[in-house]
Amino acid sequence: MDFTSVFGDFTAMAPLIILLVGALLLPAVQFIGKRPTATWAVALLFTAVSLIVNMMMLTDGTSYTTLDMYTYVAFTGIMVLLFQVVLFLAILVSNSSVETTRLHVGAYYALLVGATTGMMFVAGSNDLLTIFVGVELTSISSYAMVSMKRKDPRAAEAGVKYVIIGGLSTALTIYGISMVYGLTGTTSLSAMSTLVLDMNWMMAVALVCMIAGYGFKIAAVPFHMWAPDVYEGASSPVSLFLATGSKKMGLSVFIQVFLVTFIAGSVLGAEATEGLQYLFAIIAALTMTVGNIVAIAQTNIKRMLAYSSVAQAGYILIIMAVASEYAVSAGLFHMFTHVFMKGGAFLVVGALICAGIGEKISDYRGLAKRSPFMAAAMMLFLFSLAGIPPLAGFTSKFFLFSSAIGGVDGVTSQWVWLAFIAILNSAISLYYYARVVKAMYVEKGSSDEKIVVPKAFTVAIAICVLFVIVLGVYPQLIFDYCELAAAAIF
Amino acid sequence: MEMPILSLLLLLPLIGAVLTLLMGGERQKYAKIVAGVFSAITLVVALFVMFSNDFGSFDESCAWIETSFITINYSLHVDGLSILMVFLTALLTLLVVVFSSEEKDRPKYFHALVMAMEVGLMGVYLAADYFLFYVMWEITLIPMYFMISWYGGPRRHYAAIKFLIYTHVASLVMLIGIFAMGFMTMEMTGVMDFSFAAINTLMPQTSEMFQIAVFALLFFGFMVKMPSFPFHTWLPDAHTEAPTGGSVLLAGVMLKMGSYGIIRVCLECFPEGAEYWQWVIIAIGLISIVYGAYACIAQTDLKKMVAFSSISHMGMVMLGIGCLSDIGITFAIFQMFAHGLITAVLFMVCGMTGHIVGTREIPLLGGLAGKLPIYATFMMIGFMASLGLPGLVGFWGEFPLVYGFYEFAVSNDMLWLILFCLLSLMLTAGYYLWAMQRTLFGPETTKIDLSHVHDVSKPEFVALAVLVVLIALFGVWPDAALQFIDPYVDGLILGVF
Repeated sequence: MDFTSVFGDFTAMAPLIILLVGALLLPAVQFIGKRPTATWAVALLFTAVSLIVNMMMLTDGTSYTTLDMYTYVAFTGIMVLLFQVVLFLAILVSNSSVETTRLHVGAYYALLVGATTGMMFVAGSNDLLTIFVGVELTSISSYAMVSMKRKDPRAAEAGVKYVIIGGLSTALTIYGISMVYGLTGTTSLSAMSTLVLDMNWMMAVALVCMIAGYGFKIAAVPFHMWAPDVYEGASSPVSLFLATGSKKMGLSVFIQVFLVTFIAGSVLGAEATEGLQYLFAIIAALTMTVGNIVAIAQTNIKRMLAYSSVAQAGYILIIMAVASEYAVSAGLFHMFTHVFMKGGAFLVVGALICAGIGEKISDYRGLAKRSPFMAAAMMLFLFSLAGIPPLAGFTSKFFLFSSAIGGVDGVTSQWVWLAFIAILNSAISLYYYARVVKAMYVEKGSSDEKIVVPKAFTVAIAICVLFVIVLGVYPQLIFDYCELAAAAIF
Repeated sequence: MEMPILSLLLLLPLIGAVLTLLMGGERQKYAKIVAGVFSAITLVVALFVMFSNDFGSFDESCAWIETSFITINYSLHVDGLSILMVFLTALLTLLVVVFSSEEKDRPKYFHALVMAMEVGLMGVYLAADYFLFYVMWEITLIPMYFMISWYGGPRRHYAAIKFLIYTHVASLVMLIGIFAMGFMTMEMTGVMDFSFAAINTLMPQTSEMFQIAVFALLFFGFMVKMPSFPFHTWLPDAHTEAPTGGSVLLAGVMLKMGSYGIIRVCLECFPEGAEYWQWVIIAIGLISIVYGAYACIAQTDLKKMVAFSSISHMGMVMLGIGCLSDIGITFAIFQMFAHGLITAVLFMVCGMTGHIVGTREIPLLGGLAGKLPIYATFMMIGFMASLGLPGLVGFWGEFPLVYGFYEFAVSNDMLWLILFCLLSLMLTAGYYLWAMQRTLFGPETTKIDLSHVHDVSKPEFVALAVLVVLIALFGVWPDAALQFIDPYVDGLILGVF
């Protein structure tokens, strides 16, 4: 279908515009109708329409440009698709979750949709400033969403922490951008890639500032300490949204700005960029190791998932070091499988909170008897996260880790150590995931009473289970597009 | 279209596992029948493949994942190396189902786990693509984990998690080796192809440095599974805690995955790597046989003793492989098969000791032969077979191996190395006879109450009898197994060494 007749020059932003309209309409819908379920349905509808439009644009394969600032290529399409899937899952369960606010329903959905708009804006931007604006739109919406679980003091703490850390990261980022502008006279990524060949100390400081700033967004070590508090304090749908969506936005920025502009964009000055690659390799190794090791000690399942999410970001950062087209497609694919497995795990946690089960791992004892479906789904998600075949997490890790061993020319030994660290980490992670499985399946619970969870959760979890299995045995469903996306930006 | 026979070997247990799981509530008592029927059909199919004269005709292959970068096929293949293992897997699964038919604790899960395990094990032995191989390799972990942690002994949680993590780490190291082989095919042909056909023909042409490095990665992964000294510590724990059925599958076929991998992957792909590491393999083999046997003497738990004897016997396999000679590899494969049959008897007997008498502690037992004659007979046959009594299958697994190693030692002017073998054989005979004497003979024990014990039950008798018949059959007619192994080893030796 040709969307240019409807959206004109703004076709590139069509999925975004649809959601933006939704974000603006939702508070009004709630104000007039005063029925949360209706507002929920409208939010879901806008998400679905936007998702369908994006799917059509993605399968169509045409690229569009709006005002030289926003480009829709396969990479944008696949990232936007990911954000929409996350949004869809988050909204789907929001109405039935007991953790969702009942006071500001309109605002809640508007913020959720608005934050996604920001992410989608980032994915297509080719200018440092527009990227910055998109990131801020997402961040500021998220601060409010996190603190919306009003009766829980942990939510307030999480909100404050998130705002302060977010403010710091924003300041660092904008400082870095201003220095880059001062050096090159432009903020356009495509113009910049040829200008940054000669790395001087000021450029290095600027880059480090920006890496730190965006490092906070993806919770890379050492900028990760906010993540567990925030994920623990926020309601489960919001945790899901932040862990699987907002984090991917940060990774998208890393790919667009650092990987494409500075590393791949300046192949001529290999010496200059090699340092950057090593920096990322170290951050990746640290992030996965710290995430996994600290996760072992957690007793709260949300915090454990948060640290495991830190570790997963570390795995994906491998692509920044390796910087090959194959690595990027593998990384994108892992981001997708991560949405379903980590998202699914957060959904199970959220569903069980609705059924009155706590967040401690010990609360999960005997779950297999009380709710066989929830326990089985959780086991699948956790085993998938640990990389046990034939689940999606294994297949994507297979692609991702293998990209560190070689490239199109065959075996390259430069990043083999990174693959080793990643694989050892993967083994560590099995330990703490297996502990939850053990609690659910092996240990005896205090009660044998059956659990009833809201239908919306069951549906959302079933979707995740389906994709965790399907993407495991038939990865091409998404991987083909990931390859197109990687080809589009290189 | 031809019937995909090899896929049937994977599909039948899978269907069996799912159907068994569906036997809830009242129907739970039929779980064993469903599992029995499906594992019996699987065995029939396996026998059909075994007795057809043309293995090559069963090959299956179809594209699974095809990106612009990677080709992964769903390929299955059977040959002289794998067919005995396929047979052993099918046989032991059926016998475990029969043996455990009186399992009272959630029988549907138990039998479903056994069937699920069969899927993974069959997959490992049939896979002809490294991706599929690795997937199946890992799939075997999960049912075993649950088997130990649901049906195991008092320290089952510790044993289960140790087993899971230990072997998972090893397989991940192996995975790095698989990556390296994949990228090497890409360097050589332009496509990243994970099929055995591509990798196993291309790898012997790679540089010595590459062979040495990748051989080490893969070897580590396989050796932990076998397990060999010094990475054996998960095995005694897993065995002591696992239920009898689990132990039989674990020792009978799962350990063989390790030695199968060494021959199939390490030897076929990296002949130069194998020559470089030859002395390390020999050393590991020698230490394992002596250490395993030595540790056996100190054990007081009958089952733990048998677990350590597995380490010693698998060390024998390692030693045979290390010779890198025709006779060494041939009888290493034979020993894998022989040990599979014998160890199944041993673990069944030890498991029975636990539930008949109530304890497996050797010092508490004594004079059981008078009270439990059938049980005692099976135990004696098992022990005798395991220590290598001529006329039973164990003899053919050990004697030619020692001879093969003797040849190797002589050709390297290191004849004294043979002393380790002799020492191990002596220790083996020693601990078996000593254990037998303490448990079966002498005055009847007064430390435990033997008034209510009953001898072997019918299903247990059937399972043990089948194994004992096979042990005797292959003992007097080893050629029945060697006819499959010989052509394979001839091909291997001609091809690479």
